Amino acid sequence: MFQVIGGRSVQVTRLLAPRRAVLVEAVRGRKSRTDPVAKSKEGRIKVPPPVDPREMVVLKERFAEYQLITRALRLEFKEEVLRKKYEEETGSLAEERARQEAEEHCALMAFNNQENLRMLEVRTLRVQKEKEEAERKQVEASVQREQQQQEFIKEKEKDILKLQEDAKNFITLENLDRRIEDALDNPKNYNFAIDKEGRVVKQTMLQ
Amino acid sequence: NVHILPIYENYHGGYVVIRLALAGHKQANRPFYRIVAAYNKRARDGKYLEQLGSYDPLPNIYNEKLVSFNFDRIKYWIGCGAHPTKPVAKLLGLAGFFPLHPMTITEAERRRAQTELIATEDVLQEGQKEAEV
Repeated sequence: MFQVIGGRSVQVTRLLAPRRAVLVEAVRGRKSRTDPVAKSKEGRIKVPPPVDPREMVVLKERFAEYQLITRALRLEFKEEVLRKKYEEETGSLAEERARQEAEEHCALMAFNNQENLRMLEVRTLRVQKEKEEAERKQVEASVQREQQQQEFIKEKEKDILKLQEDAKNFITLENLDRRIEDALDNPKNYNFAIDKEGRVVKQTMLQ
Repeated sequence: NVHILPIYENYHGGYVVIRLALAGHKQANRPFYRIVAAYNKRARDGKYLEQLGSYDPLPNIYNEKLVSFNFDRIKYWIGCGAHPTKPVAKLLGLAGFFPLHPMTITEAERRRAQTELIATEDVLQEGQKEAEV
């Protein structure tokens, strides 16, 4: 029901303000403004808890002292935090650390450069070898192609020779009559019989 | 000193508090609190900046309530401008890190006065009974 106000919006200039640690204001809780009062709370008059003035005086003193001590502690801790931050950034150890880091950086950069040079050499060798390989392969391929072409030509020449030789036995218009007569005079019989043991029998019934 | 705060979020006018957050072990009737540094506007059990300790409100078998603090980090956060809440301030006072909270002293005095009142009432009642008898 009561919400705490804190931070820069607090203007503490009221003389009769309660000397609490925080300022409170009323805030709507569970019920809205149109909800009726509960039956058990009909005739209720809210009364704050009774304050014992002697106890209040003692309490105010105690709170004043407590707040003094806590504020002092807070400032002490702030100073410590700032000092630690300062030491970390601009202390004696920080310079040594920075120097060591710079040294490490130099060393690593030198190592990196050396590695780059080495890799460069290795790379040039490799590239050269690959180029030679490629050239060799190209030469081989061309030789192969040449060979294949030669073989092809030879095959074709053989075929041509064979054809030329066969052409001598072709039937032309001049041989036609003579070949017909030869064929009719020499009847060829292609029938033959063969048994399971491979003996061929060419003697058949001729008509 | 807002400039020292870690820049996780941009809150306008927000500040850091050190407070108790329920640890949420999902068991009914068995609370356990974490002492936590969080932004003020965050939910009680929501995302916090750092855990600085724990508090078990139920006494154990030796009748002790266990509390733990990370004093180094608490110093850092208070140096950065965090405010502890009332129960955290009371616990720190009992631990000795802060001065004793005034309300612990006054409540102890009130309880002592109450027990003395009851004791004197009992004595009076016994006296009356003896007188009657």
